[in-house]
Amino acid sequence: MIWKTAWKNIWRNHIRSVVVISSVVVGIFAGVFSIAVMIGAINQRIDAALNEEISHIQVTAKDFRTNYDPALTIKDSEKVISVINSIGGVENTCSRIIISGMANTATKSAGVQIIGIDPEKEKKIFSLNKKIMAGTGDFFERESRYNLALIGQDLAKELNIIRYYVDSTMLAELKTEGVPEDIVHRLSGLTGERFTSEKLFIKKLKLMFTTKEAARYGRIIREKAWSFRENSKLTLTFLDKDNYQVGAVFRLAGIYDIRNSMFEQTNVFVKNDELTRLVGITEDSFHKLIVRIDDTDNTDEITSSIRNKLPGYEVLSWKDLQPDLAMMTGLVHLYYAIFMIIILAALAFGIVNTMLMVVLERTKELGMLTAIGMNKKRVFSMIMLESVFMSLIGGVVGMIISWIVIQVTAREGINFSKYAEGFEAMGFSAHIYPQIDPIFFIEVTILIILTGVISSVYPARKALKLDPADALRTE
Amino acid sequence: MKILELKDVHKIYDGSEVEVHAINGISLDFQEAEFAAIVGPSGSGKTTLLNLIGGLDKPTSGEILIDGTNLAKLKSSRLIDFRMRNIGFVFQSYNLIPVLTAGENVEFIMSLQKWPRQDREERTFELLKSVGLGSRINSRPAKLSGGQQQRVAVARALASRPKFVLADEPTANLDSKSATTLLEIMEELNREEKITFIFSTHDPRVVKMAHRVITLEDGKVISDENKH
Repeated sequence: MIWKTAWKNIWRNHIRSVVVISSVVVGIFAGVFSIAVMIGAINQRIDAALNEEISHIQVTAKDFRTNYDPALTIKDSEKVISVINSIGGVENTCSRIIISGMANTATKSAGVQIIGIDPEKEKKIFSLNKKIMAGTGDFFERESRYNLALIGQDLAKELNIIRYYVDSTMLAELKTEGVPEDIVHRLSGLTGERFTSEKLFIKKLKLMFTTKEAARYGRIIREKAWSFRENSKLTLTFLDKDNYQVGAVFRLAGIYDIRNSMFEQTNVFVKNDELTRLVGITEDSFHKLIVRIDDTDNTDEITSSIRNKLPGYEVLSWKDLQPDLAMMTGLVHLYYAIFMIIILAALAFGIVNTMLMVVLERTKELGMLTAIGMNKKRVFSMIMLESVFMSLIGGVVGMIISWIVIQVTAREGINFSKYAEGFEAMGFSAHIYPQIDPIFFIEVTILIILTGVISSVYPARKALKLDPADALRTE
Repeated sequence: MKILELKDVHKIYDGSEVEVHAINGISLDFQEAEFAAIVGPSGSGKTTLLNLIGGLDKPTSGEILIDGTNLAKLKSSRLIDFRMRNIGFVFQSYNLIPVLTAGENVEFIMSLQKWPRQDREERTFELLKSVGLGSRINSRPAKLSGGQQQRVAVARALASRPKFVLADEPTANLDSKSATTLLEIMEELNREEKITFIFSTHDPRVVKMAHRVITLEDGKVISDENKH
């Protein structure tokens, strides 16, 4: 009966209850959805790191990481590979040669890490082969008389391999993308002009357009004006195993884009047989063995089992290699708990206020209930239940709405392309697919119930302090 | 059988300037199945006396014994429980729970006392029928007239078979026809259920129907007349 009465009491003042419930709906939606965006971004970042950058576990010779000495290859490579493959949960391995060096074009140079890979084996571990920009080439598929190198988009920009120019095709494409006529018209003034670097092109655009226009259309213009110099060459220079400087000319195999500026700027991929020859190490030697496992959750377990079986090597998991990612996964839980608690605390003030009004309005009725024998515990429960019901209705509706919005946005993703440079500088994709773990809804529900309980304490105490004889006299 | 006994009860309110002697040494006994009216002019202490008997207020001195239990000695939580089990209340302004139906209002105390569902429903229906509202069991108070609401309140007061029912000016807000009907129903229930009714009033028609009339003035009993 107390439950029923509490439930019915909520609907005495429809408008007031709906206002309170709506505030909970909005608060919960805002909280849950922004957390889903955050979790989506973090998980995408981790997936990208695991699928494109580092995979799960890396094995190197001891001390290799301290100075990247090319002579420190993995000894007994066959034994090492077979030991690792015998461990349960290991999906695949691939070997890499890692050399520090410089990449040079006629006008520019940049410090890079040159990575020698076996393209076929690499495909089984990383999805880099699917990240080659259209029209720039392929993942070492074609036969070539030349040495081939695969470089990142940002390095290509830095080395001026990517150029920018405005032509009629590009202007027509801009129109179909919805760029206003006026902007396209002004841009057409640049037809025929070539820009050897992104910086120069941006500088020019800044002169031609207002800050607002540049922010709105700069990115799409740059994407359309982008052009790749085919058959570009670059020279890679590095030290061989005897510390002699060697250099070799490479043709571009292609340009990859994984939406991570740092990675793209520093990682150049070449075929390992070409690299072993230049460095002067045997063809089957390598510096790094990369291990992919079938379940990311078993990372720690498999890492320590490899460590035990291969004591003479350095074995690092993705958590050791990218502690920021490991920290993010650990912190995200704490962060969203704090985030939800702050939102719910704000909502609690609204609920307290409403419940105080409820107690004040029903003074006489509460006096009557105490007079006829409703004890303090029951009066308290009734007020508390009203508060819990209101927060729960709002919470459940808020969670349902967030769930629907998350499902809808997760299909296409949310495009923050306006801030893409900022996102990519941190290694995050600007195209975020929100996601949420269903467990989270259970946690939020518990927090909502707690909010209802806590915000009823003060009003309910007020109700308990009423003297029935006095309360009955009020009008 | 004596169910209620007042022994030299005084109630003094500490006003800001003067002490108000609301009840000035009242001693009374009530037996089972009485139908008693407390009358007297405004300010004579009727409501205060009913509040004291109902345990909503404590006497400054003297004792109030219900079936031998001294109300003043009960702790507040025990007192609420004691009220629930022994005393039924009818208020001047009905005071039904507006969100519950007539039936649910009657059932309320029984459910607090954890009566089995079937017993509760039977008793509710029986009581509403005897107050002439058997067909309005699912109506909310707002859909009922004042007289009907007060009849529901009477049914609620009787629901858990208390020792006695206290009614403070139960007819004050009713027209004369509804007032008479209500009193007739109360009298009938008093007879059938053998429950004592003590009600305050200054309506002469209501006084006429009472079996015992206690007249108060300045917090004292000036006459106690048994008409039967």
